[in-house]
Formats: sequence, structure tokens, C-alpha cells
Amino acid sequence: MNSTELFSAYPTDSKVWDEMFSPTEVREPYKRILQFLKQLSADELTKKEEMARRLFMSQGVTFTVYSSGEGIEKIFPFDIIPRIITASEWAYIETGIKQRLKALNLFLNDIYSNQFILKDKIIPIDMIYSCEHYLREMHNLKVPHNIFVHISGIDIIRDSDGTFYVLEDNLRTPSGVSYMLENREITKRIFPDLLPQNFVKPVINYPQILYKNLAALSPRHNSNPNIVMLTPGIFNSAYFEHSTLARLMGIELVEGRDLVVDNHRVFMKTTKGLQRVDVIYRRVDDEFLDPLAFNTDSMLGVAGLMSAYRKGHVAIVNAPGNGVADDKATYIYVPDMIKYYLNEEPILKNVPTYKMEDASEREHVFNNIENMVIKKTNASGGYGMIIGSAATEQEIIEYKKVVMEDPRKFIAQPIINLSSAPCYINGKLQPRRIDLRPFALFGNNEIEIVPGGLTRVALKEGSLVVNSSQGGGSKDTWVINDKI
Amino acid sequence: MLSRVAYSLYWLSRYMERSDGILRLLRVNYAYSQDDPKQLSWRPVLRIFSDMKPAEKIKIQYQSRTVLNFMITDKENQNSVLNLVCNARENARSVQDNVTKELWQCLNEYYHQIRQNQIALSLEKDDPISVIDSLVTQGMHYYGTFEITMARSEGYYFMNIGKYLERAIQSVDILDVKFSEVDYSLEETTDPTYWKFLLLSISGYEVFLKSYRSALDSTNILNQIIWNDNFPRSIIYSVNRLQKSFETLKSDKNSESYKALSFMIGKLESSIRYSDIKDLQEIGLKQYLHKIKKELFAIADAFNLYYFAFK
Repeated sequence: MNSTELFSAYPTDSKVWDEMFSPTEVREPYKRILQFLKQLSADELTKKEEMARRLFMSQGVTFTVYSSGEGIEKIFPFDIIPRIITASEWAYIETGIKQRLKALNLFLNDIYSNQFILKDKIIPIDMIYSCEHYLREMHNLKVPHNIFVHISGIDIIRDSDGTFYVLEDNLRTPSGVSYMLENREITKRIFPDLLPQNFVKPVINYPQILYKNLAALSPRHNSNPNIVMLTPGIFNSAYFEHSTLARLMGIELVEGRDLVVDNHRVFMKTTKGLQRVDVIYRRVDDEFLDPLAFNTDSMLGVAGLMSAYRKGHVAIVNAPGNGVADDKATYIYVPDMIKYYLNEEPILKNVPTYKMEDASEREHVFNNIENMVIKKTNASGGYGMIIGSAATEQEIIEYKKVVMEDPRKFIAQPIINLSSAPCYINGKLQPRRIDLRPFALFGNNEIEIVPGGLTRVALKEGSLVVNSSQGGGSKDTWVINDKI
Repeated sequence: MLSRVAYSLYWLSRYMERSDGILRLLRVNYAYSQDDPKQLSWRPVLRIFSDMKPAEKIKIQYQSRTVLNFMITDKENQNSVLNLVCNARENARSVQDNVTKELWQCLNEYYHQIRQNQIALSLEKDDPISVIDSLVTQGMHYYGTFEITMARSEGYYFMNIGKYLERAIQSVDILDVKFSEVDYSLEETTDPTYWKFLLLSISGYEVFLKSYRSALDSTNILNQIIWNDNFPRSIIYSVNRLQKSFETLKSDKNSESYKALSFMIGKLESSIRYSDIKDLQEIGLKQYLHKIKKELFAIADAFNLYYFAFK
């Protein structure tokens, strides 16, 4: 088969925005790569795909699924065709995210101190106090440089008319950035010279920016602060990411059992005795951080950590308690926050969202369920949601029952037709739905976002769920100049 | 360095050393089994490296292929090469940021290779030596990568401590088992081929020929495996290297732990160095070997106590 056939059979859907093909032609930013791909035979593309798979496997870019006492290595599926974003699209996304994060960070400062936004009735009080991720322990706690959301991943999607929307804010422990870095490394290997020919903006300095930000948070003013990455351990599905980031930043990767708190100071247990820890980039959830403050059964955290934090003897990144800001019910109010705190119009739009708590909105959702997605406010990873158009009648009845038990825990959104991008699947190019997760680093002086991020792909035909836990994969993401 | 990290590196290295030792022993034993006019018993090998019940050992002692699969690919056998490599790799995975990327990739590739079902099949049907050689080569790749890429810092020395401690224990074990087959007798009545294959199994045959020419008697064998400074698998060489690696850990911050271990290792080194065949005959070979083994285990315990106590 020659590769022109590979492209001619590409099915387009007028209701979906395709990143590469407009209804009439190939979109400008994709022209160059398309030309390049056309020179390759299907065999060559398959070989490249195989090479990518092998590289991921041998480098151990895998996650382990444990079943019946034996670990099975899986790679996070990677599609070899890059997703392209133009510089002007990127500039728009970037300013939009920065604005959003500024507001969200102000919100967290406010909600854990004066709570002006509640007093001014912009956000209903009961919505905050009923949120499980609201931490009373954080109240009036002074966080370094007033930054809560040091590291965030904002999920961006594109509707059928090409407009970008924010689907979700991830402000707790967003993952995926190591795949962004690895995907780029793989592209360098499978498509030699293609990146420089397209003037793709590099992502390689992410670890250095992060390190610089972490170092700036050290409570002790010394030139070489001790920064550690706290992981739940080798059995965590994101373990690869934890060890990769620790290695790239040259910081120590620790587990809860490596740390101890003495006199409100955190130490790590080394072969030469105890060594003071200044900054903790933790990938352990809030409720497991400190058995004395939160979940008493937690083996993953460190007893006394919160007291050391409260005293200002250690910095924790991200700050605990961020869950109140990325709760899906709070999401509804982010545009209002932007107006309230910044006196600006929101640049990036929210997807219209209905509160299931509100009787009339709930009725509207139930009446139009075939066009709706209902989600749990505190769940992630594509769990606990139902897509009206894809669910059976029985499933919908069951789900409605669960919603009625505690409507506060649910929101609904109209089904958004995520944009599609061509993926190389079974020797053919086929459209698959995608989203984008740029990673933003909130530093002392500025918010920095490496160009691009992680493009996630729903690999199942027709599927709208891109989460890796639900069979999603990813693509390398290029930001290139508008005119090549 | 974190105690947990040091512990993982030390074990990673011990597992790799053990897997290498097992593979070499299996290779030579298998080759010998093709040469042996009588049927070769695998019981000594099973005694050193497995906790199989005596009755079971007797049952499979003449079935080369069954023993090979048990020792290499059996998931139930804690000491199978498969499990050792998996453990080494899991240890590396938990300290990925403390080994070089090259070393991690090398272990990871070994891990993926040894998990292929093909290995068990080939051991059953094809030439086992080719299979073992392909695994030994992966092990050599690991040793080379370790030497070339690892920074000469604490991690490297903890890995060396694990390596040489394991190697010393192995050499003592091999002597113990092989001599127990001849009732620890130092008489020169044993078949020279027996000793030749013992040497081959620890890659010591060529060194032996150069040092002692061709007199394959038990005294020379003991001289080589216990006291030959030039033989990288001799007990004295391993303990000496263990001591050298340990000395790099000296620092103001851990003087107490350092002193305790330094004493134990130094004492063992001198007790081996300043003893000879005559002493050995006086004490008895069995007692001599068991004393060394006991002290090696005590050193391992002391590391757990003074350097790895993070739990």
C-alpha cells in the first residue's frame, strides 16, 4: 500500500473539528509534516511505531499492573503522529491559563484566610464547606510567597467550531509531564531532523524551571537547599514519573518511611545519620500526608509533617487543600473568580456546567440526558462518570438513583465533541479524539508554561474518554510558528 | 545517601552477583554431565542454591533439564535466575534516580529477556549452553555498564560491598558443598576432573593452570580459592575488596557505625590472610569454612543494623 492511499481513506465528520484536515483541505500548520509523511510507506511507519514501542519498553517507560502476585509491564500507548499547535493559538491558551491560575491562586489564599469571596456572596458558603477537599487545617496558614498552585495541569479541549475550552483544572498532583518529556525524546529518535526542520519549540527545560521554583521556597536561606520528591512508592502507577522527575532535577526520591519529624523539622534517614529537608515536592494525596493530621491509617506520609509545615520549617508543594479549587463544582465559579479578583474578562471559556444540586438544573439535565455527561465532582481519571449518549437505559436509571442520594457530589455538562487528530492505527490514519494538558509552573515572579503539554488521545474509535486509566494514549505536542 | 537507597543498591548488586554465579555453575555442571561416564548428580548445586526438600532433590538429581529450568526460570524458586533478576530490577526501579540511566536500561532489558517463555522452552528442547550464554552475556553487560557509568560515590561503593560480600559467601559455599561430597578430606585420591570442573564453574581454571601448573590436587585448589590474591573469586580477594569499598564510607558523621564494622571486616580479612593450609588442617576444613561463613553473615547483619536501619 502506498501512503497516499493511507490518507485518502481518512474519514471526516462535519460535527467534529479535525486538527489536520478542514472539510476542504489540509490545515496550514500540518502541511509540512503531511508532506514528510507522504514520502513514507506504510511499512516504514509501522517500523517507526514498533521502534517507539521498543524504546519505551527498554527504557522502562512503563507502568506495572499487578495481578495474581505478578507484575505485568504496560506501556502508555504512544501515537507517532504529532499534534500541532500554532504559536498564535498557543499564545492565546497560555495567557488564558495564566489568567485562570492567578485567579485560582488568589481564591485559595482568600478561602483559607478572610473568605471575602464568600462574604460577597460570589460563591455560596455551603458549597465550600461541603467540599471534602476543603482542609480546615490550612486555615490562616501562611504559605511561602502566597503560592498554593505551584504545579498544575489545565485540561483544554476544542469544540466543533475550533474554540478552546477549559474542561478541568488539576491543581493537586497532576501527572503526565514525564510523558510529555519522553514523547519528545521518542520523536527525536523516530523522526530524525524533523523537529528542527519544523522549528518546534523545545520542552526540555521543564525540570530546570521546576527546580528553580522549588529551590526558591526553601525556608532556610542557604545556597543548596535539600529538596526531595515524596512518592507513595514503587507500586504507584505514576512511579515512573516520580523517579524520572527526581532524576532530571537531581533531587532525592523519598518515601514516607525515609522521613522523620523531630522538633517540627523534617529529616531524612541517610547512611550518615539524619539530614534536614527543606522542600518537599509531594506526589502523595493530602489525606495521606500526615497520619497525625489526616488519615490516621496512612503509611505513605510522615507523622508531624503538618506541624513542621505550619511552623514554616518545610515547604510542601503543591500546598495541601488545593482540592477545594479544582473540585468540579467550584469549576463553575472560576469565570466569576476571574472577574472578582482580577477585574478581567475570562480569556478561556468554561464548558457550560450544571449543578445537580439545583433542582431546576437537574431536571433540565435529566430531560436531556442523551446530550449530557454527568460527573462526580471529586473524581478524576475518567472514573464515576456517565455519558448519556453511550449509556444504556438501565445504566442511566441506576446512575440517577446514585445522583439523587447526594446531588452535591455531581455536575453535568453537555457532551462536547472533542476535536480529532489523525492517529496511525493498524496501518492506517484514523481520526481519534484528543485533549491537551499544558503544565504550568507558578514561580515566585511569574507563571511559566513550557510550550505544548501532553496531548491525550482516546484510542477507541468514537470514544470521548482520553484518560490513560480508560484506554487512552498520548501524542507528542508541537508548538510551531504560524507561517512556516 | 538515603539508607533505603543504600539498602536497595546493596541488594540489587547481591542479586546480580548471585545470578551470575548460579549461571556459571549451571553451565559448567551441564557441560560436565555430557562428559561424565557416570550419571552426574545435581544435588550439590541444589544444595548450595535452593531450599528444596532433600527428597525432592534426590528425585530430580539426574534430570539435567528439570534442574536447569528449576534453577533458571521457575517462578516458585526464590533463587531462580528469573526471580533474582526480577528482584534486582525491582530494586533498581525503586532507586532509579540513583543508578545511571544506562544501568537501569541494561537491567530492564535483562528483565524483559528472561521473562520470555522462549527461555524455558529452549532449556527443555534446544542447547542449554546457548541459552545460559545469552543470559551470562546480559550479566556481563551489566557489570561493564556498572563499572563504566556509575559515579564513584557512595552508591557505587555500597553496590561493591554487596557484590563482594555475596561473592565471598558463594565461594565459601561452593568449597563447602564440593568438599562435603568427599567428606572434607584433603587426601589426594579424588578424581582430578572433579576439581577441574569445580575450577571451571568459578572461572578459575586458567588462573589455576598459570599458578600451579597442572597439579590438580585439593591443597592447590584450596590455595587458589581461599588465598590467591590474583584470583577475582577467591575468598581473600572478595573480602579484601569488601574492605576497600567499605573504607570509602568513612566520615565524621558516622564514626561509631564505621568503627564497629571496620573492626569486623578487618578481623575477618586478617584471620584469612594470616592462616594457611597447616592451620586449616589443624582446625579442620569444615570448621574453618563455617567460621568464615558465620563471620560474613555477621557482617551482613551489622550492615543492616548500622547502615540500613531505616524502617
